[in-house]
Amino acid sequence: MFSNIFEKGRRLAGLGSLVAALTVTAPAMAQDKEPIVFGGSIPLSGVFAFAGVHLHAGLTDYTSWINSEGGINGHPVKYVMEDTGYEVDRSVAAFKKISGSDSPAVYYGDSTAFMKTIASELNSQGNTLMSGASFATALTDNEKYPYQFIPGPNYSQMFGIILEYIASQGEGGDKPTVAFVYSDTEFGKDPIENGKAKAAELGIDVVEDIVTKPGSVDVSAEVLKLRRVRPDYVVFHGYVLSPINEFMVQMRQMGLGTKFMGTFWSSDKLIIDKMGEDADGYMGVMPYNYYDSEESGPMLDALRAQAEKSDPEAGYRPTGYMQGWFNAMVWTEVVKRTLDAGKELNAENMAASLASIKDWDTGGIIGVPVTVKNMSFPVGRIWRVNAKEGRYEPVSDWIQLD
Amino acid sequence: MRIGDAKQTYEADEAIWTSPTQKFWFALLLLSLLVFPFMANAYLLYLGCLVGIAVISTTGLNILTGFTGLISLGQAGFMGVGGYTVAWFSLNTGLPFPVTLLLAGLLAAAVGILVGLPSLRVKGLYLAIATLAASVFLHFIFAEWESVTGGMGGLSLEPAHLFGFSFQSDFGMYFIIVPLAVLMVFAARNVFRTRIGRAFIAIRDRDISAEILGIDLLRYKLMSFALSSFYAGVAGGLFAYFYRVVTPESFPLSMSIFYLAAVIVGGMGNLLGGILGAAFMTLIPEILKLLTAALTPFYPNAPVFMSPMLEIIFGALIVGFLIFEPHGLAEIWHRIRRFFSLWPFRN
Repeated sequence: MFSNIFEKGRRLAGLGSLVAALTVTAPAMAQDKEPIVFGGSIPLSGVFAFAGVHLHAGLTDYTSWINSEGGINGHPVKYVMEDTGYEVDRSVAAFKKISGSDSPAVYYGDSTAFMKTIASELNSQGNTLMSGASFATALTDNEKYPYQFIPGPNYSQMFGIILEYIASQGEGGDKPTVAFVYSDTEFGKDPIENGKAKAAELGIDVVEDIVTKPGSVDVSAEVLKLRRVRPDYVVFHGYVLSPINEFMVQMRQMGLGTKFMGTFWSSDKLIIDKMGEDADGYMGVMPYNYYDSEESGPMLDALRAQAEKSDPEAGYRPTGYMQGWFNAMVWTEVVKRTLDAGKELNAENMAASLASIKDWDTGGIIGVPVTVKNMSFPVGRIWRVNAKEGRYEPVSDWIQLD
Repeated sequence: MRIGDAKQTYEADEAIWTSPTQKFWFALLLLSLLVFPFMANAYLLYLGCLVGIAVISTTGLNILTGFTGLISLGQAGFMGVGGYTVAWFSLNTGLPFPVTLLLAGLLAAAVGILVGLPSLRVKGLYLAIATLAASVFLHFIFAEWESVTGGMGGLSLEPAHLFGFSFQSDFGMYFIIVPLAVLMVFAARNVFRTRIGRAFIAIRDRDISAEILGIDLLRYKLMSFALSSFYAGVAGGLFAYFYRVVTPESFPLSMSIFYLAAVIVGGMGNLLGGILGAAFMTLIPEILKLLTAALTPFYPNAPVFMSPMLEIIFGALIVGFLIFEPHGLAEIWHRIRRFFSLWPFRN
């Protein structure tokens, strides 16, 4: 454990030095304009720390990059965060503290639970626009959460993209069959009902739906259920790794030709690192290009250059990093649009600016121009693991939902 | 200066206030609690409310575990019952918060009695597992009884209201939570001046002897469970009004462990211990974060390095207390008091 911590520390030391250097040089660049504050409740410790560290790195690197580009309309950007341990009460405490001292225009929430909990305060304050680690379908309810958005497709939309891909794979007019395997959590259950409705709409038969504990290991009974129905595809949701690996290995040992797919948080390189050759063929829906993909674009290139500059030895940057960077990109666009319109930087005006995003070129982070619909970006692509190369490769074009 | 603690009457022995000094300091504490929300910023106010809720729940668990000797890992489940009761009644009946909070306490007490039934047969670790099972069962109900609890998505509720006034902000909630916490700690204090409280303590010290003395074990054990769960239910109800959303994940098992740790760190069987333990467990993570903040000007990336360390320091602090001060924070407080009581005649 200690070696992990120190290893993490070593890898991020470069990042720290860079931030320190930028802190020193920032005043020269900042002119005399007020800084725009990016706030964040970030899970640097606790069960979500594996992603939190990279989210933080993405947000930090973006802040450095945008400041090196002159800030937002000449306003320097200041990123203020606190560790939450992925606990709602600590996330709320961090929000109150940062709101009180720095008046953030935009804020990163670390969980669906936090974002739901803070919604009433966010709505009554009306100062801050929020997005974060959550892709929860509920947060795209504009009535209840008018000042929160999803930096990509929500979980139901991810299922929609996966199912559209599956529907396109049938031969001779036959649609493949599918089974849903999801965790017994709010996160896991989120897209299931909408996923079933979408499957029915596309004529796909959902032959089984299985709920497990997140991280469970003994899934032999569930595998037997799947063996009986022999689905063409199994879609996992609500996991990071386990029990995806157990399902895949056991079903392959039984000689089933089932293909396996997952949503954002279960489509990182972690699967390849942990499963090795067994991960080959696993597919994930991803709204952003992978760090090590062959895609390019001015912003994607800038991201890679900045990442390389901040920590030359770190190598691959996980999807959490991409998500952190993209969050900050959207915030910047929203703030810029609001300032350009000569409007006050409050939640209502920024939400309106967000809603106005249409055919926006993300510079290669997402491969097609994107449009905000219902406070989300309903676009993504299916990627498949090439275990030999140790990376994901695209197997579909970008799929945009209506 | 106060020297010695000799008491000559039963009344003096049972008195809440044993000296004018105590009254003075308590009055000062009440005054500070009253002034606090007018001086504090949103962050401190939030923490104040959080500590208030934790004090109520910890006091409840202290009655059961500290004073009656019945271990429980079901506190989060009972809080959940309170939270969902408040949310359901608030959404479906529009009742004002004092009524919904009372209902939350009563329903949690009823559930507590059911969960406490095995306590006559089993104790110690066995009872811990029985209450843990109850907690899992309650969690299952919260997640699956969708028509009532809203399933995994939970329920969102309107702010607490009374006589047309809506307690929307933390400032408003403070004036519900903190007075209620003071009141409930006092109520608990008074319980232990009665036959019921003394029966609880007798059961804790030696249940067989207590039975020989004529104490109906089942009755008093269930009473202790009911009382403890009532406190948890009210705390859960306040939790629901405070965050205005309840989901099954609002009341995880780790919350039960948090409160049990607060009782142990504070000092089992000591009401002051419950208060200190609740405050310690709630505030220490925040205080440790201040250490990180102090390092940030010199090393901007300090949070990344320090955050995992803070978890370790927090754990080490708890273990340290258990080793070096098994009677908890309350004992440290008593030692400080003794020092001032005896000064300048200490040796």
